[in-house]
Amino acid sequence: MEGVHKNRSLSDVKVLDFTGELGPYASKLYAGLGAEVIHLEPITGDPLRRKGPFYRGKADNMEASLQFLYYNGNKKSLVLDLHREEGRNIFLKLISKIDIFMESCVPGYLDTLGLSYDNLKEVNPRLVQTSITPYGSVGPYKDYPGSDLTCSAMGGFLYLAGIENEKPVRACDDQSYRMAESYAAVGSSIAFLYAKRTGKGQFVDVSAMEAVGMALENAAQYWDLEGSIRRGRGKEAGSATVHPCKDGYIAIVAIMGKNKIMWDPFVKWMKSENVEGWEVFEDPRWIEPSYRRSVEGYETFCRIFHQFTMKHDKMTLYERGQANRIALSPVSNGKDLLENPQLKHRNFWQTIEHKNLDGEITFPGAPYEFGELDWRFGFPAPRFGEHTTQILEALDYRKEEIAVFSKEGIVHV
Amino acid sequence: MSNFEKALEGLVVCDFSWVGAGPITTNVLGQCGAEVIKIESQKRPDILRKGGPFKDGIADGLERSGYFANRNPNKKCIALNMRQPMAREVAIRLIEKSDIIINNFRVGQMEKWNLGWEDVKKINPRIIYVTMSLQGTDGPHKSFMGFGVNLNALCGLTAQAAMPGKSPFGTGTNYTDHVMVPTHTLFGIMAALLQRERTGLGQTVEISQLESAIAMKPIDSMVYAANGEIMGPLGYGDPNASPHGVYTTLGYRKWLAIAVFSEEEWAALQKVMGYPDWAKDEKFATFAARKANEVELNEHVEAWTKHQYASKLMKQLLKEGVKAGLVNDARAAIEDEHLIEREFWSYLDHPVVGMTLYNRAPIVFSETPIVMEKAAPLLGEHTDEVLTDFLGYSEKELEALKAADVLV
Repeated sequence: MEGVHKNRSLSDVKVLDFTGELGPYASKLYAGLGAEVIHLEPITGDPLRRKGPFYRGKADNMEASLQFLYYNGNKKSLVLDLHREEGRNIFLKLISKIDIFMESCVPGYLDTLGLSYDNLKEVNPRLVQTSITPYGSVGPYKDYPGSDLTCSAMGGFLYLAGIENEKPVRACDDQSYRMAESYAAVGSSIAFLYAKRTGKGQFVDVSAMEAVGMALENAAQYWDLEGSIRRGRGKEAGSATVHPCKDGYIAIVAIMGKNKIMWDPFVKWMKSENVEGWEVFEDPRWIEPSYRRSVEGYETFCRIFHQFTMKHDKMTLYERGQANRIALSPVSNGKDLLENPQLKHRNFWQTIEHKNLDGEITFPGAPYEFGELDWRFGFPAPRFGEHTTQILEALDYRKEEIAVFSKEGIVHV
Repeated sequence: MSNFEKALEGLVVCDFSWVGAGPITTNVLGQCGAEVIKIESQKRPDILRKGGPFKDGIADGLERSGYFANRNPNKKCIALNMRQPMAREVAIRLIEKSDIIINNFRVGQMEKWNLGWEDVKKINPRIIYVTMSLQGTDGPHKSFMGFGVNLNALCGLTAQAAMPGKSPFGTGTNYTDHVMVPTHTLFGIMAALLQRERTGLGQTVEISQLESAIAMKPIDSMVYAANGEIMGPLGYGDPNASPHGVYTTLGYRKWLAIAVFSEEEWAALQKVMGYPDWAKDEKFATFAARKANEVELNEHVEAWTKHQYASKLMKQLLKEGVKAGLVNDARAAIEDEHLIEREFWSYLDHPVVGMTLYNRAPIVFSETPIVMEKAAPLLGEHTDEVLTDFLGYSEKELEALKAADVLV
């Protein structure tokens, strides 16, 4: 570390995060670079706290949801009842000090509380408010209830996860939500930079259905340019196919298009491994995508390749394939990832002590590295209301006032 | 064209990136008003120009690919043959005027041109220098190769995207390239720009594609570390919902997604189904019971959906508060009234392929809206314009560079 700047963080950025199941990764990106992130929870608690899987199966413990603990690391918990006038007063006081307010409320909900963006802007003209919802805050579907599955489906993303007449399968970790959140983080940062330069805040609207539109690859253009509807890749021999091995599966891209230069090292590898029938791969017809897509091509490839792959585990195939310059990778599960030598070498995994759970939890680490900024997991995700007192005191509320709010159920400390 | 102020107006991006995640990153910057100058060469075009689909299915030349086009609207393209030593001088003039320089080459390529960070920061200390390695720049697998499909598998996205008892399938796309890697790159760039507001200095932003992907799918590893469990195939289910799935309806490959999380939603679904007798069975009375009998439950739901129109059912379900959505194919998503109303899609006129389809970034700004203005550039379309108007080359110098095979 050169340490040119003393402050290797975004510690001067203040984010208020009023999201739940949809939304929390957006402000986690800020928390990871040292911004101050306050997670506002309703008096009933962030619903994500009740969503599994749980640490050691502790489903009745509000502090044990693994999703909550990951997405809310390095954030402070403030519990406030916005349905009470005093709660709203505290909220408005806080808003005057906030740079970015992220929320995933049903469109119109904050307006009914008198907390529309126009009202908040009067308190803080530089405020960036980012709304993250299933269908967005404008448009004919804005009031539709949505879930990860329905957003993935409506935006055209889910359809791609299957071939021919098969029903599609889901990706893990609610990807339509993650896509919306990561774009919400980006949109907020762009609006924030603009606000810093001009003094003008703005409202940023992010929809999960729309965000999945970024992940259609070339499917929309296939319809627009060629009038054809594509589904997933996965049945073109050796070109983005998944194959079984001794302890699971591997994925391989040994050829794309008519690129013989890619294919040759694969044939050479099969020869050097003395795979029975490797000579078949020397035939020039493998360079033709149409042959690789044919039933005969796909089945021939699998028949020859599988008698080799079934003898080895995924890590062996990964390392040997890569040594031969083949784009082959394991189909990793959670255990494989924790044991992955590259991730170990880079100290990727972060193990954090959670005293209230009497144990340690291992989390993914830094998604990037900077010359002059440090990524950090930070302190463990907060207990319900852990920082309410601290935050109210910073807003100049006296201890006695806070005690009254707490007694009346306006806040939870 | 537009009267709106753009959020990133004034920023200049020197864009050496190609194919997937890099161009998607700079696409978003460009849509928000940054001037993106894409560097290509006839000797080494962005290989996505040769990737389908092509207008009318005709693959001739380098200007018909929709795959390339949708990632590169609003950009200017200069042809610069970096194999010619004089090309570096042009790159340097551009770097002097740039706020961001980005590449997604294999580690070491920029250094071969003497355009690594150590060189570039001497040219322009305010520049943000962005690299996008597959697995980081150190470690035993730093030189391993892979495409999006490989990264999907490696990062753990593919394993659970499977029907129980069948091979994993994944997303069917190079998913990591489209969202996970570009959004982290964009956020990294914005963080560096924010810090530059304070310090006046640029810095490096190094993305590990693998690590940024894992950050968006944390649970499989966390569960193994905490509980020693390996997460099984998801199919189209959800551990917190039942029924939850994709159900056959009338029509060719027409399915309806239905997701029932709460008891209220289960009651509402029964109402829309007309309170069938089977749903009153003990087997479906609680969430735990429905989960335990999910296969049978899904069969019942599908027996109800399969003789009906998905669009009609969806409306009935939504009206009662049940989460439901059509499994739209690309055509249906393009023609979807909501996305049209939100102006997610746009058609831009291109000199070779005419009016063709693009989408904007999924961010709607109230004050600095994204405006889609120009179709993807022809290779080298803006070489003369950028070199003369922006980099200050004279006509004579331009001719000399052309004669020396630099601007091809």
